[in-house]
Amino acid sequence: MISRRRLLSLAGASALLAACGSNTGRGGSGQALKQWYHAYGEPGVQQAVEKYAKAYPKIPVDVQWNPGDYDSKLATSLLSDGGPDVFESTLQISSVRANQVVPLDDVFGAAKSDFSESILATHTVDGKIYGVPQAVDMQMLFYRKSFFAQAGVQPPSTVDELVEAARKLTRAGVKGIFAGNDGGGGVLGGPALWSAGLDYVRDHQVGFDDPLAAQAIGKLRELYTSGSMLLGAVKDWAEPDAFTQGLVAMQWTGLWAVPAVQKALGDDFGVLPFPKLGDSGRPSVPVGAFGAMVNAKSKRIDEAKEFVRWLWIEKTDYQEDFNLSYGFHIPPRRSISEKASKLTSGAAADAVKFVRDNAKASNPPDWTSVMRTAFNDAVSRVVRDGAKADEELKTAAGKVRDELKRLYG
Amino acid sequence: MRNGRAFWLFVGPFAIGLLVFVYVPIGWSLLLSFFDARNTVTPSEFVGLRNYADMLTDQPFLSSLGTFSVFAAFIVPLTFVLALALALLVNQISFMQGFFRSVFFLPTACSYVVASLVWKLSIFNGVRFGLANTVLGWFGGEPVAWTVSTSPPWYWLVLVTLRLWLQLGFYLILFIAGLQRIPQHLYEAAWIDGARPGWQTLRYITLPQLRTTSVAVVLLLLIAAYQAFDEFYNVLGTDRGYPPFARPPLIYLYYTALGSGGQDFGHGSAGAVILTLLIAGVTLLQGRVITR
Amino acid sequence: MKALRYLALSMAAVLFLIPFYLVLRNGLATEQEITARQWTFWPSEIHWENFGALFANPAVPMVRSMVNSLVVAVLQTVGQLLLCGLAGYGLARIPYRYANVVLYFVVATLMIPAAVTFVPTFVVVSTLGWVSDLRGLVIPGLFSGFTAFLFRQYFLNFPRELEEAARIDGLGHWGTYWRVVVPNSKGFFAALGVIAFVTSWNQFLWPLVIAQDQDSWTVQVALSTFLTAQSIEVTQLFLAAAISITPLVVVFVALQRLLVRGATETGIKG
Repeated sequence: MISRRRLLSLAGASALLAACGSNTGRGGSGQALKQWYHAYGEPGVQQAVEKYAKAYPKIPVDVQWNPGDYDSKLATSLLSDGGPDVFESTLQISSVRANQVVPLDDVFGAAKSDFSESILATHTVDGKIYGVPQAVDMQMLFYRKSFFAQAGVQPPSTVDELVEAARKLTRAGVKGIFAGNDGGGGVLGGPALWSAGLDYVRDHQVGFDDPLAAQAIGKLRELYTSGSMLLGAVKDWAEPDAFTQGLVAMQWTGLWAVPAVQKALGDDFGVLPFPKLGDSGRPSVPVGAFGAMVNAKSKRIDEAKEFVRWLWIEKTDYQEDFNLSYGFHIPPRRSISEKASKLTSGAAADAVKFVRDNAKASNPPDWTSVMRTAFNDAVSRVVRDGAKADEELKTAAGKVRDELKRLYG
Repeated sequence: MRNGRAFWLFVGPFAIGLLVFVYVPIGWSLLLSFFDARNTVTPSEFVGLRNYADMLTDQPFLSSLGTFSVFAAFIVPLTFVLALALALLVNQISFMQGFFRSVFFLPTACSYVVASLVWKLSIFNGVRFGLANTVLGWFGGEPVAWTVSTSPPWYWLVLVTLRLWLQLGFYLILFIAGLQRIPQHLYEAAWIDGARPGWQTLRYITLPQLRTTSVAVVLLLLIAAYQAFDEFYNVLGTDRGYPPFARPPLIYLYYTALGSGGQDFGHGSAGAVILTLLIAGVTLLQGRVITR
Repeated sequence: MKALRYLALSMAAVLFLIPFYLVLRNGLATEQEITARQWTFWPSEIHWENFGALFANPAVPMVRSMVNSLVVAVLQTVGQLLLCGLAGYGLARIPYRYANVVLYFVVATLMIPAAVTFVPTFVVVSTLGWVSDLRGLVIPGLFSGFTAFLFRQYFLNFPRELEEAARIDGLGHWGTYWRVVVPNSKGFFAALGVIAFVTSWNQFLWPLVIAQDQDSWTVQVALSTFLTAQSIEVTQLFLAAAISITPLVVVFVALQRLLVRGATETGIKG
């Protein structure tokens, strides 16, 4: 015979379980829309996007900030029914094929012509637009003018000069260059290809199956082994701390870091694109834009679309604030970027010029995460392990070719 | 069938849970492993054994098994020997025995996440202020980028010492329990026969008497190494994914099926099935060895 | 010889305590002290205000994640003891035609570590709509074939006389279990319970997979997220780590005996 008290405590436990379950449950009408961002490193952005969401008059919106490996996390959540309704991401053709995102062409309306075409193109697959560009990000090389002057080194205009400069600028307590704790394999792979005039993918074909690619990636290995690279810093390449603390003479980071660097170093720095390898290549800067997207599994697609329209099309003052008040980004809309006074002088103006002259899409839709993983693994093995560049790239090219075949037949 | 009702009253809730959360997933996994299941868990394209063939020829997957082997080759003997040595030492003293036992057991309270934090950011930090590099500096050494450098692969030192610190106490307790089960009269008889305390009694009494414990410890260590995920993910993973080396099997499956590596449940499931078979094989072998 | 033993043990003990020292030192220092080129053994002044900064930092959901961890650990401990205890008793003591079949199914799961099946389990749990949900965090971990098996082995050796006395008093299986067996097995339940709590508190892979929303993060997921992101105050990260291990260190110091027993039970019989 079970005692009443025991029975009660049992019932209590299961009730607690059920109650807690419904607490975090979702999906009912009248509940808040869920919106995800990756973690921007600049102070104030999180508060800003929360402020925008709170200001939305129609329904409550919960903002989630996602530090860590955002791509993996987003990928997992889009598979389940528990994902966000609205999220920021770059567009991949595989998400379109798997029906994970919905077309947003009707959201744009007349504002469509105000967006930069090249940026819209990175959010377009088969003629449909799936993301409303929020902010254009670009990466470039920051260099410390005074360190260069001391060492008598000129800003590099070729990859060889870059390697040489890094070597000359290395002295006790200061390394020549910082390009991420992985030694640059993660962020410099693309720029290295472009420096040789190659590409990730071209017309549904592998763009780096070329001896020049091996040579370009080999240069990254040379840089890595030269002893002039900072490794194992506390904060990674996306934040300018190593550069502003004087631990390095050069750092690969992005336009967003310009305000922080200006604050720390004043005028004592300049910016450069990634230099060209030889005559066949060109200097380049990776450019990309996170776009606001709507999860196809959302139970309230229309409400989510309306929110996206309100936030990223209608509220132009928010877009201006988001792009320019914290880190620097280039507003994707001409009407805003043309009157952005912060981008008309100094390093920011140089960055805008690089974007005009040397832009390469950092995450084109036809460069899926499977391809990116294959390519980055190969680069990383070459740079960090000293594996043979031509063999590794051939393996990666094989995987990219398989994936292209799967996507395009 | 009164007993039937009573039986299911006791076992039923558990059995249903086991069915739903263990057997259904395994069955589903088997099913998925025969399909092209990218970005979906309800696939339609049957591919037969292709996923298995792919995984068994997939260089990263095979090298993840290699990674496990390297890791196990370090961590299993090291933990075994050190735990046994410390257990013998602790067992031989009387004053402060409880204190030492507690100290060695205390790391078990920490998660791999916390340990990774300490190891990655404080002990084996690549810059000058990390503890390891500070100590190196006292002896005039240059700072080493512990978790980045692949030649020599210093990250193994980081990962092995981390796990050693975390798990040693647990196995130490197992050995102490084993030691305390050895009947005292065996030692006394040996002393009468002229055996000297120390190496001889260790060799001819202690180690043979610890046989069951030892086999259990080795197997537990192996299976734990097989399932390594937490410290690898937290020490070597970054916000842009995981580097293409030192990937133990679970890390590789995580990135294949759930991570940015393509949400490929077909290949992920096939890999999981292969791993499960391997572990089940090892466990069965263990049963043979123990009951022999 | 004796002195040598103590020397060796003391040296090992110091090595084992260094990480704890580092967590405290880094958590209570300033960022400058940690990153200074000169090693400081202890912060020149203890920065208690780091606590305030940590709890005020909206980016680190410290309170929420600690509460989540606690709720998950408590529910998993209670649930596991309840379900696995009942099942273990049924398998050990209630004669039934298909009992052996069920036992085989339980034992078979011992060969498949839960960690390896996290992908398919995620598939099932997400189909149930339990992603980022307490149910998804707690329930799949309740059905441990291993714990049920340990309970069965334990109940096989439970003194029959006690049960027979209860039977004579007119109690059925259910009454016998709750009135006689459980009260006389408190030590065993407590030992497995403590181990279950520690395991649950420290688990990482499953919460990482299933707790997508920040609101459902456990403390391990929260720490890991900021560790891999590396864009947080280092002092706060270490302080958060210190706070996350405090409950378990207290449990450890208070319940040493139970833990040792639990470790021995769960270790050897495995």
